[in-house]
Amino acid sequence: MAFWTVFQKDLRLELRTRESLSTMVVFAAAVILLFAFAFEAAPARFQSFTPGLMWMTYFFTAVLGLLRSFGQEKELEAYSLLLSAPVDRSAIFAGKTMAFFIFLLLAQAVSLPLFALFLHLPLLAAPAYLIGILILADLGIAVVGVLISGMSLRSPAGETLLPILLFPLLTPLLIAASKATHAALNGRPVSEWDVWLMLMVSYLVLFAVAGTFTFDYISEQ
Amino acid sequence: MQTFHALRRNQVLLIVTVIIAALNLWLIYGVAPVVPKQEMAQKIFYYHVPLAWNAFLAYLLTAVGGVFYLKTKRTQWDAWSLAGAEVGTLFALLILITGPIWATPIWGKPWSWEPRLTTTLVLFLIFMGYFMVREFSGPYERASRYAAIIGIFAIIDIPLILWAVTWWAPEVQSHPQMEMAEHPSSILRVFFFSLFSFTLILIYLLLYRRHVANMEFLRLTQQGEVGDV
Repeated sequence: MAFWTVFQKDLRLELRTRESLSTMVVFAAAVILLFAFAFEAAPARFQSFTPGLMWMTYFFTAVLGLLRSFGQEKELEAYSLLLSAPVDRSAIFAGKTMAFFIFLLLAQAVSLPLFALFLHLPLLAAPAYLIGILILADLGIAVVGVLISGMSLRSPAGETLLPILLFPLLTPLLIAASKATHAALNGRPVSEWDVWLMLMVSYLVLFAVAGTFTFDYISEQ
Repeated sequence: MQTFHALRRNQVLLIVTVIIAALNLWLIYGVAPVVPKQEMAQKIFYYHVPLAWNAFLAYLLTAVGGVFYLKTKRTQWDAWSLAGAEVGTLFALLILITGPIWATPIWGKPWSWEPRLTTTLVLFLIFMGYFMVREFSGPYERASRYAAIIGIFAIIDIPLILWAVTWWAPEVQSHPQMEMAEHPSSILRVFFFSLFSFTLILIYLLLYRRHVANMEFLRLTQQGEVGDV
């Protein structure tokens, strides 16, 4: 199982170096603190846009994590060797995506309580829905993030290209995730905001399919 | 390779495009009736909407060209793709400029998160990334391949962006195109003539840009940087 091997390799690498995950967690915590200082004055007033802040934070956290995790691949030409393995490229794509998805979820598991603590995000209002939204949005970010990183990794200006390319492509997903989080945590009935869930699922399916077909071309030398 | 205007049919196309565009101007300002509620501001609709339709046509060409380029590796497809991206982005920029000019007197504010305007803005940003990828991704073969993929992703993203933005702010006011059916046919006739005129301009610009791109690729081939044309 090539998928499983790549997935395990990324997890094991992270377990030994802890480079991506520690960067992501520390960065997310720093941003949350920064928001807390900036909006200290009126905590009740910014309740309505904390979900937006939350997804902005995780967008930048994801960019940082992708840079770190693909930076490791760059060292010693590891990525070229990985691609030269006699397996289907889409298995490599799926393996790296799943591994990054796990990192993102772990970073959120650690940093989300800080949102509750400092910015009064009512996390426990609808935990099941929140977990569902996190899984959908993180999968979408991971799919598109790994695709774009695979491209920008090779270019000398890759570090700056990644956020510039990623942000507009992720716009619909981030809007949907923020709106769904806001509605879920405010206790709205699902029938009112299921359109955002459908949007996230469509985004995920479309880009997963497009990614599987184009990853071959992305990873050619 | 000859210059673009050395070919007779390109000369004819240029002359026809210019004449039609001049006629279009006269029709818009001389013939089409002034809409009472919007007065002269409504005239921008003859530019804005045809520009929008043609910009999306150009971006569609980028994606289709990208798919064929990835499949065949022939630079002539990349030339179409590049032409579509550049002309599409020029048109998108004009949409983003004419939109606020129209909105200032009509909505009372230059920008509103109107779904199509927002979608155009996000698309414009994606294509800024597209040009950076083309510029910064190293050798031509790789840069063009990556650009083709971004072009395809952009097309996939359009319906999703439109969907997200429509539901995000359902209360925003309607767009000139929404009211089109209410207009008298004298306005609609001029509008469709304008659409025809802008489509001609699009075709002319696309052909010109494709020609220049093919010349660039020919030079790259002669320098041995690209396989076959």
